[in-house]
Amino acid sequence: MKEIVGVKNLHVGYGDYVVLKDLNFAINLEEITVIVGKSGCGKSTVLKSLIGLLPPISGEIFFRGEKMDYLSETSLQTLYKQIGVLYQNSALLNSLTLYENIALPIKMRHPDLPAAIEREMVNTRLSQVGLLENRDKFPAELSGGMKKRAALARAIILDPAIIFCDEPSSGLDPITAGGLDELMLNLKEFFGLTFVVVTHELRSIEKIADNVLVLDNGGLHYFGPYRDLFTLKDRFIDTFFLKDINDDYKRTKI
Amino acid sequence: MGKNVKRIQLPRRFSIDEVPGLFDEIKGVQKDTPLEIDFRDMADFDSSSIAFFNYLKKNYPHLTFTNVQPELKKILSLFSIGKDTGDPSDSRVSMAERLQAVGGKVIKFEEILKGFLVLLADEISYTFQYLLKRRGVYPGEIFNQIYFMGYNSFPIVSVIVFLIGVTISITSAEQLRDFGADIYLADLVGFGMVRELVPLMTGIILAGKVGASITAEISSMKVLEEVDALKTMGLIPEKFLMVPRLIAISLVIPLLVVLADLIGIFGGVLVAYIVSGIPPDLFFREMFTVVGLSDFFIGLMKTLVFGWIVVISSGFKGFSVERGAVGVGIATTESVVLSISLIIASDCVFALILY
Repeated sequence: MKEIVGVKNLHVGYGDYVVLKDLNFAINLEEITVIVGKSGCGKSTVLKSLIGLLPPISGEIFFRGEKMDYLSETSLQTLYKQIGVLYQNSALLNSLTLYENIALPIKMRHPDLPAAIEREMVNTRLSQVGLLENRDKFPAELSGGMKKRAALARAIILDPAIIFCDEPSSGLDPITAGGLDELMLNLKEFFGLTFVVVTHELRSIEKIADNVLVLDNGGLHYFGPYRDLFTLKDRFIDTFFLKDINDDYKRTKI
Repeated sequence: MGKNVKRIQLPRRFSIDEVPGLFDEIKGVQKDTPLEIDFRDMADFDSSSIAFFNYLKKNYPHLTFTNVQPELKKILSLFSIGKDTGDPSDSRVSMAERLQAVGGKVIKFEEILKGFLVLLADEISYTFQYLLKRRGVYPGEIFNQIYFMGYNSFPIVSVIVFLIGVTISITSAEQLRDFGADIYLADLVGFGMVRELVPLMTGIILAGKVGASITAEISSMKVLEEVDALKTMGLIPEKFLMVPRLIAISLVIPLLVVLADLIGIFGGVLVAYIVSGIPPDLFFREMFTVVGLSDFFIGLMKTLVFGWIVVISSGFKGFSVERGAVGVGIATTESVVLSISLIIASDCVFALILY
């Protein structure tokens, strides 16, 4: 498996306050890595560091083998060209229509691209997320699930190598959340996309996770394949995933 | 010899009405006195009685409960906090905290000033970059902003400057008549409006109308992670959001100033004709002996500076928002206050330089 993101001895937090320390893990291409942990354990903080919004307190983050320099605008721009981010609140610009929101990265990064090509690209992505009919609506006119799908379309519009998703299922009913999971699985399978997903939706984790990164007690509790998670007989993991400690862990990933 | 045991027999009904009496009885007991609480008769209790037992457990180390029913034991354990968390903090602010807050504000001022100047420098650089390369701003956004700023501001600016023109004419006409100098009303109104009142009032109205909306919009975008989304799309939010507004305000202000000058002076002409009987042609002939094209350009330049102050202050407050929805309200109010304060301060500097 080819590594896309590598993290070494990473300490993250705000100012001098360390939220998580000594993180070491690697994210491979064409896999879905899920970050889980209790509320307030620092899941979103790690994500912010990985996407360049929060400089680490110490440690290193490598992107495609290159060390990230948070003080260098060039390094950040290189990162931003290769990632897509799906925010918890969708973060669509409310003053733009759905079409304009999804076209925004194209317009801004490739202003010379012919309008007809741009239209094709946006319509294709809108169709993939099932929102082509709603392309002229404003975000305020969309449901939570539609906004999330639209935000995912915007995140993938320029074919990033990796998509970071911050609690994509939050505020969604199980059916809509399941639809979003299906979409991510399809994008992984058919387009070879890599996902890093912060969530604590157990159903979602079971469905999409190739690897799981469990955070607890200010550090990394477990990082490895989801299928191995329940062979550990770890009390925190079993409690978190609502497993009976005496289960024989017959369940395997579907 | 050990101390005498203090025994307390709980009543059949021990609830919030009985707690104060028993609390008073216990208050006089030394902490190291062995205390025995007998539950034999107690059949009815509430959460205040359990709070009372918890208080005893924390404060009387030699405490024993006797004849406790198993059900009650379970309830007592359910209501046990486990550890003493101390007194809750007082939401009222003490004098020391107030003084600390004042000191903190003084220290923070340096950071704010630095942040403001950095944003100002960045915006100047981004605006020139945009003018040279035409990149980094959403297509058509400048025209949207021109429409929004001009359309929203023109009616209110017109009404306010007209009323100010009328007001200063009425109040000055009376004074000038006493000296037989009615005609100088034209100089006063013309010079006052063009050089001072139109720029100042336009700036203040822009702060309230345009500035507040810029801050509210940017701070909401920040709270809703839209600013982060722009960053991770590889855009510079300070450029993407601010440059169209800076360019738009630079284009809207000359129009606003011309119209405001005309409407303000028209108010003065109207009053001069009605109150002092000065015909409009005489008014303008007198006014132009004092007011020249240079005064118009000075007024225009001042208004442009005030407009830039409004946009930069509003953006600065919008980008520095914290604490979610509450922060949006605070930032919006602060941006108007900051803009108006800076407008008046810079007007004072202009007065010192230009007069």
